[in-house]
Amino acid sequence: MIAAWAFAMSALITLIPANLNPILIFSVAGNYQANLIITGVKGLWMQGFQPLGAIVFFSAILAPVFYLLSVSYVSACWTLQMRLPLMGAAFRLTEALEPWNLLPVFAIACMVSVVKLRTLGTVSWEPGSLWILATAVLTMLAIQFFDRKCAELYVEGAK
Amino acid sequence: MTDQLRYELSKALTAAAIILYIPANFLPVMTITITGQVESLTVMGGVVELYDTGLVPVAAVVFLASVVVPVVKLVSLSWLLNLHGSDISQLRRMKVHAFLTRIGTWAMVDLFLLSILVAVGQLGILASVQSEVGALFFAAMIICTLYAADVYKTHMIWQQPLPKSQ
Repeated sequence: MIAAWAFAMSALITLIPANLNPILIFSVAGNYQANLIITGVKGLWMQGFQPLGAIVFFSAILAPVFYLLSVSYVSACWTLQMRLPLMGAAFRLTEALEPWNLLPVFAIACMVSVVKLRTLGTVSWEPGSLWILATAVLTMLAIQFFDRKCAELYVEGAK
Repeated sequence: MTDQLRYELSKALTAAAIILYIPANFLPVMTITITGQVESLTVMGGVVELYDTGLVPVAAVVFLASVVVPVVKLVSLSWLLNLHGSDISQLRRMKVHAFLTRIGTWAMVDLFLLSILVAVGQLGILASVQSEVGALFFAAMIICTLYAADVYKTHMIWQQPLPKSQ
């Protein structure tokens, strides 16, 4: 559980540069376009596909943040053996958000898109993609070390 | 939520996903315009195009994630729900259910791919990517299967058959 806390916290930190740096830059005939996670959301929204934009926004930006926050909160409570407020709510949030935390899937999509775009124009990797990869790996490690049975028992004992 | 309601909801969502599967795979997901060449792609079309350009490993990843995973999910969900309440191969059903929740999210690769392509395809006539209706159906289908697998809990596989009410 200590490991889960550590990995969730570091994933939260890497999430910041992952969202603020461009993932890749695509250029055709001298014109170029940088791409952040949020650019795709905006693009889908502007083209009239608001539900799609909302899904991408939720599963690639919102859900990872809240999932990691609640995982680190619950595992911190367990590690420090402190009964902090809203522990139960945080645990239920981890349960609800687990299937929606799709950042690792987004990382794979980044790889595929670079390969695909390479056939159409010039693509260059930007630091954002490395941060996304780092966040994805750290998130998966946090999930691996997060003992949900143990957390559930601890949270229920608090009532 | 009672277990009976969960079962009914899971059945309804699976049925909806099976219906949505058809337009999701036959309508184009996006239209790519690169230096004047216009091209509409379906989910399978995207895979074929990747394969044709010699990017076999990448084509294989996309094929697995967006063609194989949804089919496997729909088939095994129907199987699970069909055997609900019986005591046939309960252990195997539990394993299949665990596997389903594991692979479920990978079908979203296609949606994220679209989001990235749309983001870079804003160079006007030189390169533009327009999302199409198929993407909406595809997303709806994926979300139905995700939710259907999530709402059907593992312990429900082990339930005794309910006594028939008059």
